[in-house]
Amino acid sequence: MAKHYAMAVVVAKCIGCQACTVACKFQNNVPEGQYRTKTPVVGPKGTFPNVSMYFEKQACQMCQNAPCVEVCPTKASHYNEAGVVLVDVDKCVGCKYCLTACPYDARFINKDTGAADKCTFCWEARVSKGQVPACVSTCVGGALVFGDEKDSNSEIAKLLSKNKGEVRKEEFGTRPSIYYIFEGVK
Amino acid sequence: MDITWGASASHEIAWGGMIAVYLFLAGIAAGAFLTAALTDLFGKNRPAKLIRAGAYIPPIAIVVGLLLLVFDLGRPLSFWKLIFNVNFSSVMSLGTFIISIFTAVALVYAYLIWAWPVAQARGIQITVAGVEAAAAREVPASGLQALRKPVAVVGSLLAFGTATYTGFLLSAVSTNTFWSVPFLGISGVPFLPFLFLVSAISTGLAATLIGAIDCSDLTLYKKVDIVLLAIEILLLIILYTSVSSAFFQGGLANLFWIGVVVIGLLLPLILAIYGVSKHKNLVVPVCGMVVVGGLALRYFVVYAGQMVR
Repeated sequence: MAKHYAMAVVVAKCIGCQACTVACKFQNNVPEGQYRTKTPVVGPKGTFPNVSMYFEKQACQMCQNAPCVEVCPTKASHYNEAGVVLVDVDKCVGCKYCLTACPYDARFINKDTGAADKCTFCWEARVSKGQVPACVSTCVGGALVFGDEKDSNSEIAKLLSKNKGEVRKEEFGTRPSIYYIFEGVK
Repeated sequence: MDITWGASASHEIAWGGMIAVYLFLAGIAAGAFLTAALTDLFGKNRPAKLIRAGAYIPPIAIVVGLLLLVFDLGRPLSFWKLIFNVNFSSVMSLGTFIISIFTAVALVYAYLIWAWPVAQARGIQITVAGVEAAAAREVPASGLQALRKPVAVVGSLLAFGTATYTGFLLSAVSTNTFWSVPFLGISGVPFLPFLFLVSAISTGLAATLIGAIDCSDLTLYKKVDIVLLAIEILLLIILYTSVSSAFFQGGLANLFWIGVVVIGLLLPLILAIYGVSKHKNLVVPVCGMVVVGGLALRYFVVYAGQMVR
C-alpha cells in the first residue's frame, strides 16, 4: 500500500520556542524575511482568570486534494510519488495563481528564484532518505509527530487513533495531511 | 498583534493592480472586438469609423495587458513555459491559449480593417462627404479581404472566450468564497464570468464609441450601452446579496460605491438616457465614466477576494 506521510501537531506540547522556524530556515536556505513554516501565537483570549493562549504551527498542509495543484497552469505544483505536494522550480513561472488558491497562506514567491515556494516536508534532503523533517527532529517539546499514517504501527497512526486530530478549514475539502491535536488547549 | 516573535504577518495580496488592469484591458479588447466584428457582420449601414476604432483597440489593449501579465510573473522570462506545459484542470492554462489565439486573430483583423478602405476606394470617387457612404457600400470581396468576415466570426468567438475567461480565472479558485460565489446560488454556475462578460462588452463598446466620436449616427449603440449598464446594475445587486457584507466595507467600500456604482453605472446611465432622449451628444463623458467604472470593478473584485478571507 502506498505511503501517506502526515504530521501531527500536539498543540499542548508546543512552547512557542520557534526552533522549528529556525531549523527550517537552516535546512532549506529560505530567503530572509520569508518562511516555509512559523508558529505564531493564538491569543491570549478570554478575561482573567480564564485566559488562555497557545501556539499553532503553520506551513503547507500537504492537502491530498490540493487547490494549488489544480490551478497550476504548468503542472509545476504536483504530487510526488509519495503523495507529497511539491513545486518543480524549473516549471514554475511565478504566476501566483497557487498563492491565491491556497486557503492556508502557506505559499510565497521565493525572493531568490522567483518561483512559488513552500514546505516540502524536507522531502529531498531528509524524508526521501528515511529521516523526519527538520522541524520535527528539532522540536523541543516533542509537539511534532511525523510518519506514515497508513502504517498502523507508526507513532503518528497510534497517536491519531487515540486522539482527535483536527484539520484546518475542513470545509474546503482539501483533505490536509497535517493534524492538530488540541487536547488540553481549547 | 506582535507580542511574540513568529506572530502571523499580515495577509499578503498575491494578485495586485497589474492583474486588475490586465483583466480590465482584456475585457476592453474583447468588448471592442465584438463591437467591431458584429457591426461588420450584421450592420446594415456600417459606420466605418466605428468598425475601425473597434478593430484597432483590441490588439493594443491586449498586448499592453499581456505585457503587464508577464511583468507580474515571479519569473517573467519563463512565460513561454505556459505554452509548453499544459494542465487541463487549470483555467489559466486553458486561458493562455484562448488569449494567445485571440491576440493573433485581433492583429489579423486589425490589419484587414486597416487595408479595407484601400480596397473600397478603388473606382469610387471620394469626396469629403462620400467616405462614409463608400464604406457602407459593399464592394465584392477579393483577395485577403475575403478573409475579413471569417476572421470576424472566429475572432468574435475568441473574444467571447477571452471576456468570460477573465471571470472563470477568478471563479475557479474554489477556496475563495468571493471569487467563486455561484450565480443566484446555483451550484456549479459561477457568477463572475457573467459580470465580467457584461462589463467587457460595456467597456469595450464605450472605448469604441470614444474612438468613433464624430461618427454620424450611433443611437443604436448608445441604446445597447444603456441596456448593458442596466444589466450590470442588476448583476451587482445579485452579487451584493450573494456574498458577505464584509466585502463591501473598509477601504474597498469607497472604491465600490463611488468608483463602480456611481461613476461606472449610475451617472453614465442617467446621462446616457438624457443624451439619447434629448439627442445630445454625450458620448465622451458617458463612455469615459463607463471605462473608468470598468477599471474600478476589476480592482474591487481582485482586491476584495484577497483582503477578506
